[in-house]
Amino acid sequence: MTDRHKPWAGLSRRHFLATGAAATLAPHLARAQDRAVALQLSWLHSVQFAGSYIARDRGYWADQGLRVALNPGGPNAPVEPPVVAGNALVGISAADYTAAAVAQGAPFRIIAVAMQKNPFTIASLPANPVNAPQDLEGKRIGMALANMPVLSAFCTINNVDLDRIEVVPTQYDAAPLVAGQVDCLLCWATDLPVAMTVQGIENTTMIMADHGYAVHSQTYIATDDSIANWRADLVALLRGEARGWNDCRADPEAAARLTVDMFPDAGLDLATQQMQLDRQLPLMFSDLTDDHGFGWFTDDTVAANIDTLALLGRDVGPDLWDRTLLEEAHGG
Amino acid sequence: MTAGVLRHRQAAWGQGGARALAIVAVLALWELAARANADSFVLAGPVEVARYLWQNAPLLTRALGATLQSAAWGFVWGNLAAILLAVAVVLIPRAERVVAALALIVFCLPLVATGPILRVLFGQGNGPQITLAALAVYYTTFLPLVVGLRAVPQSWLDLIRSHGRGRMTQLIHVRAPASFPYLIAGLQIAAPAAILGAMVGEFTGAERGLGVLTIRAMRALDVDATWAIATLAAGVSILAYGGFGALVRRLRVESPAVLLTPPDHRHRRPPWRRLADIGVIVAIALVLWQATMDLFDLNPFFAKRPGDVVAFLLTGPDAAAHRATLFAAYGETLVFTLPGYLAGLALGAGLACGVVLMPGLATTALPLSVALRSVPIVATAPLIVLALGRGAVGTITIVTVMIFFPTLVACLQGLRQTPGQIIDIFDTYASGRWRLLRLARVPAMLPAFFASARMAVPAAILAVTTAEWLATGNGIGSLMALTASTSDYNMLWSAIVLVALTAALAYGAVAWIEAQVLAVYAMEQTVRR
Repeated sequence: MTDRHKPWAGLSRRHFLATGAAATLAPHLARAQDRAVALQLSWLHSVQFAGSYIARDRGYWADQGLRVALNPGGPNAPVEPPVVAGNALVGISAADYTAAAVAQGAPFRIIAVAMQKNPFTIASLPANPVNAPQDLEGKRIGMALANMPVLSAFCTINNVDLDRIEVVPTQYDAAPLVAGQVDCLLCWATDLPVAMTVQGIENTTMIMADHGYAVHSQTYIATDDSIANWRADLVALLRGEARGWNDCRADPEAAARLTVDMFPDAGLDLATQQMQLDRQLPLMFSDLTDDHGFGWFTDDTVAANIDTLALLGRDVGPDLWDRTLLEEAHGG
Repeated sequence: MTAGVLRHRQAAWGQGGARALAIVAVLALWELAARANADSFVLAGPVEVARYLWQNAPLLTRALGATLQSAAWGFVWGNLAAILLAVAVVLIPRAERVVAALALIVFCLPLVATGPILRVLFGQGNGPQITLAALAVYYTTFLPLVVGLRAVPQSWLDLIRSHGRGRMTQLIHVRAPASFPYLIAGLQIAAPAAILGAMVGEFTGAERGLGVLTIRAMRALDVDATWAIATLAAGVSILAYGGFGALVRRLRVESPAVLLTPPDHRHRRPPWRRLADIGVIVAIALVLWQATMDLFDLNPFFAKRPGDVVAFLLTGPDAAAHRATLFAAYGETLVFTLPGYLAGLALGAGLACGVVLMPGLATTALPLSVALRSVPIVATAPLIVLALGRGAVGTITIVTVMIFFPTLVACLQGLRQTPGQIIDIFDTYASGRWRLLRLARVPAMLPAFFASARMAVPAAILAVTTAEWLATGNGIGSLMALTASTSDYNMLWSAIVLVALTAALAYGAVAWIEAQVLAVYAMEQTVRR
C-alpha cells in the first residue's frame, strides 16, 4: 500500500490494483497472492465500523487473500464519489443517499445492510420530552436542513402536522439542545445522545424506526461494474465483514477496546465507544439476521424501504438491492 | 549606567508590564465568559483548556505534528505559486488581467466541491490537506506581492532602462528588494491561513490531525477538547505570525523610498479591449475546467463539465426550476455578504490606523486578532450564534471576523510604507499624529488597502457560505452543502459558477474604484510599462 501516499495513486481501481500488486513485491507488506481493495467508510474511525476492524485484526480477509484498506470519511468526504471513481470497491452509504445518487446517474446497488433499523432519533430532555411522534407538535427542533425530507416523511407516516414544528437549522451538535435554543434534535441514536449521557446530561430518545421510518442504513454499496467484474472480491469482503460483526456482537467490550487501540490518534474514549456500541448493536441484529445472517434483507424489508423512500421523494424499485453476493458470502 | 539607558529600560519594563497586564485581563475575561456560559456547552475557559492540554499532551502533540506538516508543505507550495504568479504578472503586464482573474476563480472554489475531488485524485494520505492549505494561502500572498513589486520609483526603472537593461534586471535589482516588506506581510497572513486550511483539509477523510480531533470533540459535546484544540491552533498561529515579524526586524528591511510616479495617460484602454479581455478570461477558464477534468479522467457523476452546467441551467428539462432554486438561495446570500465585507474592511483598516496612532495597542490587538482569525470557524460559529443569534447580525459578524485580519495586516504594512523623509518633514513642522496619519500615512497605505479589499472579495464569499453551512442553514452555502446527501453535483457546479462570476464582478468593481483613487495617490501602481 506504499504507493497510495503518492499523488495520483488513486486514479482508477485498476490502477490502484496495479500499485497494490507492486506493493506485494515487498514481502513484509503482504503475501504475494493478496489482492488489495478499499472500503470507504462513511465517517471517522469509531466503533461504528468495529466489525471491519475485527475482520482486519483477526485476518478474516487475509484468510481469503484479500487486503482491505479502511478509508475514513469525514464531514466533507461523501462516500459516493470514491466508489463511482473506483478508488474504493465498496462504500458504506444509506438507502436514501444511494437512491439520490442513482437518480443522478450513479450505477449503485445495495449489496448488504448493516443497520436493519435506521439510527435516526429524536433526542430531547426529560423535562420536555418527545416520547411519541405527536409530541413533536409545538416543539422547536434543531437539525441540519439537509435532513428536512427525513422529518417531513416521518410526519407524513405518523400524521403529525409539520407546520406545527419549528425547524431551527443547527450544526450537528447537541449544544443547542443543552443550551435551550431548541427542544429536541434530529440526530443518530448512537452519537449525540451518547455524548450527552457521557457529559452527565440525562436525555430521552425516540428512535424513528420504531415509528414506521424504514430506511436501511450503513448499507454496503458497489457499482454494477464491480459486481460484474470483481465479484469474488466483493463476496470475500462481505464474508469478512459478517465474521467481524458476529465477533463484535459476541464480545462488544473487546471490539471497543480494539477500536481504541487500533486508532490511537483518533482521540477515542473507551467508555464512550462502549456505550455507542451498546446502542448500535440492537439496530444491526434482529430475528431476521439471526435466521439468515449479518446484513440480510428480504422482499418485505425492501418493500417497506421503497415506501419510505417514496415519501423522501426518491422513486426506486427493488432492483436497487442485490442480495446475490451476500447469499454467496453466507453460503460459502 | 547613563540616564538614557535607564529610561530605555524603564520603558521596556513598562511595555512588558502592559503586555502582561493585557494578557491577564484577556484570560480573566475569557474565564468569566466561560463560567457565565457553563451550562450551554459552547465555551471552555483557560483553566479547563490548560487542564485538557496537560492531560492529553501526547495525543495533541501527535495531532499537531500531523497538521503542521500538512500546513508547512501547503505554505511552501502555495507561496511558491504566489511568487511565480506575481513575477509573471510584473514581467508580462499584458497577462495580468488573465492571471489575476484565474487566480481569483481558483481561490473561490468551495471546499465542498474541491474536497471530494482532491480525495479521489490523491487517495489516502495528506495530499488534500496540503493542497487545501496551499489554496488557502497563495492568493493572499500573490496580491500584496504584485503591489510590492510595483512600489518602486519610476526614476529607478528609467535609470535601468537608460543602461539598456531589461525587465529582468529591473526585477532583480529594484522590484524584488522593494517588494520584500509586502512579501513578508503576505507570508504573515499566510501562516495562520495555512494551519486553518490544513485543518479543514482533514475534513475530507484524514486519519489524524487537529481537524479530526475538532470534529470528534464537537460531536462528543467535549467543549474542553474543542477549545483546547482551538487554543493550540491559535497559539501556533500567533507564534508563526510573530516569527515572521521577528524575521523582518532581524533583516532590518530598508525604509521605503519616496515614490514619485507621473501620471500616464497613454495607456487608456478602449472599452472594446476590456470586453475582449473578459472574453479571453472566460474562454481560458472554461477550457481549463474541461481539460483538467478530462486529463485526470474524473468521473462525470461528481466532476461536472461546463456542458453539464449549461444543460442544467439553460437547455435541459427543468432548467427554469433549477435556476429558480439557485437564484433564491443566491439572493439570501448576497444580503449578508455586503455588510459583512464592508464591516470587515472598516474594522481592519480602522484598527491598523489605531495601532499606528497608539503603538501600545499593537501588543494586545495584534495577537488577539491573529488568535481570532486562527480559531477554526467551526468552533467559533456556535459561540457567535449563541451570542448574536442565527439572523443577520450573527452571519455578518462571522464574515467580518473572517476578513478583517488580512485587511489589518496588509493595512499596517501599508501604513509603515510612509517614506521616512516625509515623516521627517511633518515632524519638522511639529504636526500632530492625526495630521500625519491623514495626509501622509493613509495615502501611503492606499495600495495595500485596495489590495486587501480585492483579496477580501473571495474571502467574504467563502465566509458567508461557511456561516450558512454551519449556522443559518440558508443561502447558497447551505445549497452547496446539501449536495453531500443528495449527490446533486449539477447544482453544486452551477452554484460554483455563479459564485465565481459574482466574485469576479465584485473584484472588477473594487479594481475600478481602486484605479480611480490610485491614479491620484499612487500612480506607480497604475502605470504599466
